[in-house]
Amino acid sequence: MIEVKDLTFSYGKSKQTLHGIDFTVEKGEIFGFLGPNGSGKSTTQKILTGILKGHGGDVGLFGKDITKSYNQEFYQNIGVLFEYPYLYANLSGLDNLNYFISFYPKEQRQDIEVILERLEFKKDYIKKPVSSYSKGMRQRVSMARALMTSPKLLFLDEPTSGLDPAGAVLFRNIIEEERKKGTTVFLTTHNMLDADLLCDRVAFIVNGSIAVVDTPKNLKEENSNQKIVIDYMLKDKREKKIIKACELTQGILFPHDEIVSIHSQEPSLEDVFIQYTGRGLS
Amino acid sequence: MEYSFISLLKKDFKMMLSSKFLLLIVASLILYSLYINLVYIKIDQDIYPVYLLDPEESIQNASSQIIRVDNIKELQSRTSDGYAVGIDATGLEPEIIMVSSGLDSMDNIRTAYAYSLLSPGQSTPAEVIGQNSKEMKNRREITSEFLFFELAAVGFLGLASALFKEKHMGVIRVHGVMPVSKSLFIFSKLVLFLLTDLAFAFLLTIINLGLEKGISVLPAVLVQTILLSLIMALLGFLCAVRLPDFKQFSLLYLVLAIFITTPVFLVGQTSITWNWVNYNPMYHLFMAIKNAYFGMPTDEPIYYIVCVVSIVSLFMLAYKALTHEMAKEG
Repeated sequence: MIEVKDLTFSYGKSKQTLHGIDFTVEKGEIFGFLGPNGSGKSTTQKILTGILKGHGGDVGLFGKDITKSYNQEFYQNIGVLFEYPYLYANLSGLDNLNYFISFYPKEQRQDIEVILERLEFKKDYIKKPVSSYSKGMRQRVSMARALMTSPKLLFLDEPTSGLDPAGAVLFRNIIEEERKKGTTVFLTTHNMLDADLLCDRVAFIVNGSIAVVDTPKNLKEENSNQKIVIDYMLKDKREKKIIKACELTQGILFPHDEIVSIHSQEPSLEDVFIQYTGRGLS
Repeated sequence: MEYSFISLLKKDFKMMLSSKFLLLIVASLILYSLYINLVYIKIDQDIYPVYLLDPEESIQNASSQIIRVDNIKELQSRTSDGYAVGIDATGLEPEIIMVSSGLDSMDNIRTAYAYSLLSPGQSTPAEVIGQNSKEMKNRREITSEFLFFELAAVGFLGLASALFKEKHMGVIRVHGVMPVSKSLFIFSKLVLFLLTDLAFAFLLTIINLGLEKGISVLPAVLVQTILLSLIMALLGFLCAVRLPDFKQFSLLYLVLAIFITTPVFLVGQTSITWNWVNYNPMYHLFMAIKNAYFGMPTDEPIYYIVCVVSIVSLFMLAYKALTHEMAKEG
């Protein structure tokens, strides 16, 4: 679906933002693009969506070189959720969506009210101006805009930003459902939980270069010390013991009265990110 | 493509309604028309009153417009306003008594006029230029000024303020990833503001010149309206996209109003002569509108070529600026 080879980009002559990045995204895959502010995430997404021109290297989307494929048909096949919910504040959510959907062919359009219901949008607000919406409601309308045209490729920038925990879970479920329908998702985020729960593979980008591309599971396993922490009670006293994961197959052999908890020492995706890049995401 | 254009047009119309721009246009139309009909056409001063001190009644065939006074004190008092002219005929030669207006040319005209009333039979008849009554001349003059002001200032501000709103809401960027052409995005705004300006020009002309006179100048006026409206709307578009905030835009607006448009009004409507104003493009646009109202539309091809080239160039610059805005960070 997406093929990027030796991608470079400079803002002006002296400010090189991307230093030859390579990655591929398969059809129906959720690909996470993770990096701190200023790392080149947004620049890459803008190149892929055709907003920024003048890149170096090869970029292919839908099996075509992007320099030749930015046309009406290309834009009909993608859906984009921006980091901020850009909407006409003086129009209602419904008017916004009716306006944006009008640029797409009729056979591609979905029922707006069904999508808003799927996103658990409050019905009372559907005809009220966007200026009266909370951030979460605006994010729902923006997500509806990205989904309402049945895109083959979805670009999602911080999709759960501004949502409460229940809203974040709902959005993750919807993204998962989209993937099941065969939609490819390019997810740009700071949120390691989203990346960990949703992405088939993630790329860590720092200072315009990709440090690693792999599945979250592999990344965590490869960087794990393979140890397990066991908390237990012995003679009314709480004790802690660290053992190798492989030792657990033989059972818990040390003396104990009661096991309180067992925790693997697998690193979080953020720990792995710091290990690879030497810096955090925020 | 046609459907996209209609959608853009509908959205821009809603934006225009919500910004109360149409209300401003209607209010301007009412205000201008009331001013023209109730004030402007009635404010012309009477011709200089001329007072004559001639106790011996030595001047027999003076014009009936001359007002005779009895003594020098009265003559001095009547001519103390800097407008009236006095003639003291107590000596061998009649002598002019007046307070200077401050302009030599004006004082000379007042003097010549006063002398002409002493012997009215010898006056050379004035050549009549054009067929306008004084009132119609005033109507054409002030209507052309108001139309120019409306197109140059209010039209420019209208499109720019609508676009600033879209820019502030970030929705311009959304259009960058949709199957809609950037040219259509600009074009729909131009069409909407052009239609508004044309309707305004039509109504302003008919209301203030009357149906018959208005219709006779309307084709030429509408042609000039199209040219000025497109140029100003594109300038407004360009400024709104390129300038970071409304404060900077306001400053530019002030510069445009004071340093570019004011000299145009001064040279076009008063006796002030500045040769350098020929290098101000707004002067030519103003004169073209004024000439259209006086039934003498500009027929120089170079004027129209320059206007069309300017519109095309501004459109291309606006397209480039829009592309740049779409790629900006949030």
